[in-house]
Amino acid sequence: MENNSSFDLGRMRLSGNQAVARGALEAGVRVTTGYPGAPISDLQGSFEQLAGNIPKRNPFTIRVGEMLDQTGYQLAAHWGTTTNEDNAAALALGAVICKGDFKKREFLTEEEWDLVYGDTVFAKDKGKRIPVGSRVMCSFKHLGANTAADALRVSVNVVPYTGGLGIASGDDRQGTSSQTMQDNKVLFGFHFRIPTLELHSPSTAHTTVKNCYRLFEELGVPFAVIMNYDLSYREVSVDPVVELDMEVNHRRKGFTRDPKHLVTIGPHIRPRERKFHSKLIHLFKQKIIENFELLGNRVTEYGAEPKAMIVVNGPFREDFRLVDDDPALRDRLLNKYEDVVVIESNLVFPQPGALYEDLVSKHPIEKIYVFEEGYGRVIYLQLLDLVNRRGLKVKVLDRSIPYEPRIYERFSYIDHILNG
Amino acid sequence: MASKQNPAPKDKAADEITYLRPVSNCSGCGDTKVSWSVREGMRRFNRQLKLKGKDRYELIYAADRGCGNLQGYHAYGIVDAIFCMGTGAIVGDGIKESCSDKQIVLTASGDGAYNFNISGIKFAAKNKKFGAINVIYNNYNIRMTGGQIPLEVDFDKEGPALGFEVIHINPYRVDDNAELFKELYRRYLNKEKIMVVADGVCVLDMGKNAKNSGIRMGHFIRSDECLDLKFAKERARVAREEPEKLKGMPKFKCRLCGIGLRCHALLDNDPGKCFGCGACIQFPCPVGALSFDGPSFSTSTSINELKKT
Repeated sequence: MENNSSFDLGRMRLSGNQAVARGALEAGVRVTTGYPGAPISDLQGSFEQLAGNIPKRNPFTIRVGEMLDQTGYQLAAHWGTTTNEDNAAALALGAVICKGDFKKREFLTEEEWDLVYGDTVFAKDKGKRIPVGSRVMCSFKHLGANTAADALRVSVNVVPYTGGLGIASGDDRQGTSSQTMQDNKVLFGFHFRIPTLELHSPSTAHTTVKNCYRLFEELGVPFAVIMNYDLSYREVSVDPVVELDMEVNHRRKGFTRDPKHLVTIGPHIRPRERKFHSKLIHLFKQKIIENFELLGNRVTEYGAEPKAMIVVNGPFREDFRLVDDDPALRDRLLNKYEDVVVIESNLVFPQPGALYEDLVSKHPIEKIYVFEEGYGRVIYLQLLDLVNRRGLKVKVLDRSIPYEPRIYERFSYIDHILNG
Repeated sequence: MASKQNPAPKDKAADEITYLRPVSNCSGCGDTKVSWSVREGMRRFNRQLKLKGKDRYELIYAADRGCGNLQGYHAYGIVDAIFCMGTGAIVGDGIKESCSDKQIVLTASGDGAYNFNISGIKFAAKNKKFGAINVIYNNYNIRMTGGQIPLEVDFDKEGPALGFEVIHINPYRVDDNAELFKELYRRYLNKEKIMVVADGVCVLDMGKNAKNSGIRMGHFIRSDECLDLKFAKERARVAREEPEKLKGMPKFKCRLCGIGLRCHALLDNDPGKCFGCGACIQFPCPVGALSFDGPSFSTSTSINELKKT
């Protein structure tokens, strides 16, 4: 069987949910779990259709379904059967800790491998390969993360066995179909402290998801991707050429015993927790900087001597793309901020501090404007912390919007950026 | 008392010091006896199928939080995963998705964890892809912090309602239970759903109740055939007559029963520490030196039943 199978699906409309599903399939995900709830039901719903649990209902699942059948793609989907988000996360946790196969190192050096895997049962592996198993995706709406918090927090304690677990959260910051307008970036970033990204476009989400699996599986840590209500449902026309990673999908199954990691009792988790916060998060930051563009981020300099930096995340980033296409908007940007460095970033946590320091030392930057959606202000607070700790002579200014405007109240985010 | 690893902080009173010691269950603890049967059952299952080396089936034990499962990790080393309260059964189902065909997943919960996440156990019952063996350590109470009013569970009604066949076991009938687990592993491979309820596993409670009911529990007896007793006599003779040879001698000869059942009474050969559980009655002593005198919980874990006998 071919390791990579490529299929041109022809022009179709893809929603954010379907784009994430596409990314997961391209990453070779074998087990998917979730609990339905707007706005993200459709993500696991797509997997349920593709796994044959319910009839295929839309062009995406019909065409991708044919493709999966042709390639012998293995896919297990557990949706409402998992009865709540905590069970969905626990099932995902159980599926991801089974490491029955190995892959070659792609991102880690030997020393870094020792740091991540040096105290596991795989420590004696001469080739310092990465222990891998099924890639797993777990999805639920924003409130689901409250229910699943127990299992998600424990996933940090069993690092690096949770590498290969992707969590997709659909945030209803509009309060359209939820009792709260919760900003889950706070939970995933500040509480669970796992790499967290906010996606911004159905046309690029799949690449980010796929590359997150590649990078964070090797780092042995779960990651979270967050979509807002608008992105989850918004459809765009794309010409998807889907490339399935069959080698990943057909990895050897097997559970390797390592009770010192997988039995989460005090004496076991205390050193891991210490290591996670004091060493691993720094490693994640370093790897994120090294693979900044791989994760769908971009640094653009407008002008030779930028005195300001703009960080655009999530929906702001989506609207900011207009600047590239419209010279009038570009002029307005330069009029407003003069020369400026723009960081178009999916990253919410951890923020790559060294990258900011580097940019601040290179350019005479005086102000950093942070544009993010949600009351959590996760990026702003991290940058504020960085500036204070490092004693950088830069002002960090919060330009976030604490909620997502409803569809008929939606104002242009590019105007928000350009009008300040 | 402070130790080298845990020196007494100077500004703390002596009674504030936390002791460093391994988890150790009571000598008559039913949890440990179930763990022995689970492990022994897998050994017999492989032996029955004449499987050796890499061909053997392997047990994966996904547990819940609680003393019932901590002993499995500390005393027997059979526990592979403990995560959150109540998620043992569903984590087990996740493992089934990604483990090999030669690995049999057994999940175990205390009755506290059962109440905590009954929906996870329900999922295990409804998942048609795999079999399920779910062990419930039923001590009729939620004990971790102690003293709560018990939430009674009728497993005979709830188990079938969830989709399980319920089998009650007396944890102290270790040999019968090992045979049962051997059979259950076969049924697991046939995708059957079985809930094993180990009744009355808190021997402290049972001992107290028996005492209050006027039942004097029995204790184990070792005959002269016991390899350890014989060896102890030999050691005593060597110590007396040729003390220079004593250093080179092992400290014990067999100890299969004490180590196997994790029983302090048997290890110390001290009937005073015996709770009267009677697990040793069924323990396969290589020379048949173990017997029991008086009533034991291996007859029944119910005090009313014991009274009748």
